[in-house]
Amino acid sequence: MRGVLIVFRREMAGLFLTPLGWVLFLLALVVNGLYFTAYIQVTGGDVGTSLSLALGDGYPFWVVMVLLPPLLTMRMVSEEARSGMLEFLLTAPIRDVSVIVGKALAATCFLALLLSSNLVYALICSGLGATLDWGHILTALFGAVLVSGLFCSIGIVASTLTNTPLLAAFLGFFLNVVMLSMRFLEGALKSFDASTREALMRKVDIVAHFQGSFVRGALDSADIVFFLAWTSVFLFLATRLLEARRWW
Amino acid sequence: MITVTNLTRTFGTFTAVDDLSFHLEKGEVAGFLGVNGAGKTTTMRMLTGFLPATRGSVQIAGFDVMRQSLEARSHIGYLPEGVPLYGEHRLREMLEFQARLHHMPRREAKSRIAEVLARVELTDRAEHLIGKLSKGLRQRAGLAVALLPSPDVLILDEPTSGLDPIQRISVRNLISELAAEHTVLVSSHILPEIEAVCRRVIILHQGRMAASGTPEELMREFKRESAVTLEAFMPDPTEAARLLGTIPGVEEVEQGERLGIHTLFKIRCDEDLREDVGALAAAKGWALRELSFEKPSLERIFARIAFEVEGPTDGSSDSGPRDSAPVATPVAAPIGGEPIEMTPIHSELPIAGAAAPVEPKKIVYNLNPFDKGRDRDLGKPKSTGGDDS
Repeated sequence: MRGVLIVFRREMAGLFLTPLGWVLFLLALVVNGLYFTAYIQVTGGDVGTSLSLALGDGYPFWVVMVLLPPLLTMRMVSEEARSGMLEFLLTAPIRDVSVIVGKALAATCFLALLLSSNLVYALICSGLGATLDWGHILTALFGAVLVSGLFCSIGIVASTLTNTPLLAAFLGFFLNVVMLSMRFLEGALKSFDASTREALMRKVDIVAHFQGSFVRGALDSADIVFFLAWTSVFLFLATRLLEARRWW
Repeated sequence: MITVTNLTRTFGTFTAVDDLSFHLEKGEVAGFLGVNGAGKTTTMRMLTGFLPATRGSVQIAGFDVMRQSLEARSHIGYLPEGVPLYGEHRLREMLEFQARLHHMPRREAKSRIAEVLARVELTDRAEHLIGKLSKGLRQRAGLAVALLPSPDVLILDEPTSGLDPIQRISVRNLISELAAEHTVLVSSHILPEIEAVCRRVIILHQGRMAASGTPEELMREFKRESAVTLEAFMPDPTEAARLLGTIPGVEEVEQGERLGIHTLFKIRCDEDLREDVGALAAAKGWALRELSFEKPSLERIFARIAFEVEGPTDGSSDSGPRDSAPVATPVAAPIGGEPIEMTPIHSELPIAGAAAPVEPKKIVYNLNPFDKGRDRDLGKPKSTGGDDS
């Protein structure tokens, strides 16, 4: 755990010390702000619904989730492998898994900061007289952070697969799209009976798990476990791939 | 402190390190020598646990680097080739990161950072961005990072590359100082550096240990490389050669060509016999023109091993390089000025009147899917060029 925190701290500093981090931060805030304004207009001033849309109910949320995590994580392993920093890290007295988890955690925290800009909008609206269900908003934000964690871990997997950051980013986009498209597998599972099909879909459908509970304001442990389990799978995979790199 | 047993590493069919075994005691400074691709960096990476070995084992401070990896790593300070450092951080921040990685308490880290910065003479650069440091300063910064946890074993891959001669001397002195507290393994291409700093030299060639020992031991092993050169005028050179052969300590006398009235002799011997040869020349009344002693240098031994250049001796020693097959290579001149066997150079240009060179037949596999359709024999090579039938 100590190793995770050391790497996390370094990666957070790394994200904020490079222009890429600030550029992504700025872009995401602009997009977020524009969409929030649009949601307010569309819903006729319903701040609660607008926040729900901004935190997962809306389509643009998923576009950001597919695009941003790979851009954040693309350099984390591939660039370091190329520059030799990975050699430094992997010969330091910390475990490989700490390196991976620390990096994924840093990227997730960066996204969490971005997403929490919605809280600023909520505070401003609340100050202007809107009545808000804070429990609902915070639950949705927590769910959005869990989704970010999952996509960041996928991004880390992509980054361990290549030494070219740009390729890692594209691979990350692709894997994210595949992960999101799993829900459309239902059509291919016609041969199974309805209950089996439903059970299978529940294991892979990220959108349903997120929108069905967190966005509705419900904090369901099953959904938390669902996201943590998938994130762990990808983090485990990334750790194994990092170990496998030593043999390449 | 470092025990390497039958260390082997293969990349596919290529064997980068082949059955390497050695042991280094605490406080020993060993130098890794070898041409590019000899396996130095791969070996160092295996010693630090970055690369797993295909076969064999490495023990650092009693810990197996693969099985007790974290314990072994905490005893290692490693400066990889290329000096990887986070360019966006200040030097002090990078050192603080290293201190955290090695679980150093904050107060201890602070004093230790000041200490290593002073040691590598970078105290005034502590707040500089690493990305803005020059190559030489970066190299020293890397050394500071490796030194910070005060490791038992220091593994430095080319620590002096990119340094100016003054900095090189200071790093050389630093490494010598470090020997008191650490076991140091240094790789370098710069032979005098290794010779000056290291008490032990390990010469790698094609992944195998070609020679190992102190520079003096290696020179003793290659003692037949030393010789007294005599150029003098005498009435009977053959008789002179016989007389020279009778001097105690002389192993072999080679009578060289006659240069005008003078004759050149190369007298192979273990030690400097100039005085005895001079006395003989004086007694016989030979007119001396040259009398010199040539010591075997590490550079010469290295060149001989690396280039597999056969020396003038019969090679009675049972060491590795002498066992290897002699290769007549048109290599760069071996240091020492022995005649080099050169292969004739053929001009690629056609010479008028000369017979047209026979073009070698090229064998290619036919990959054209439309050629001969399904009757095509995919396994058979199709020959092109020359007389294709």
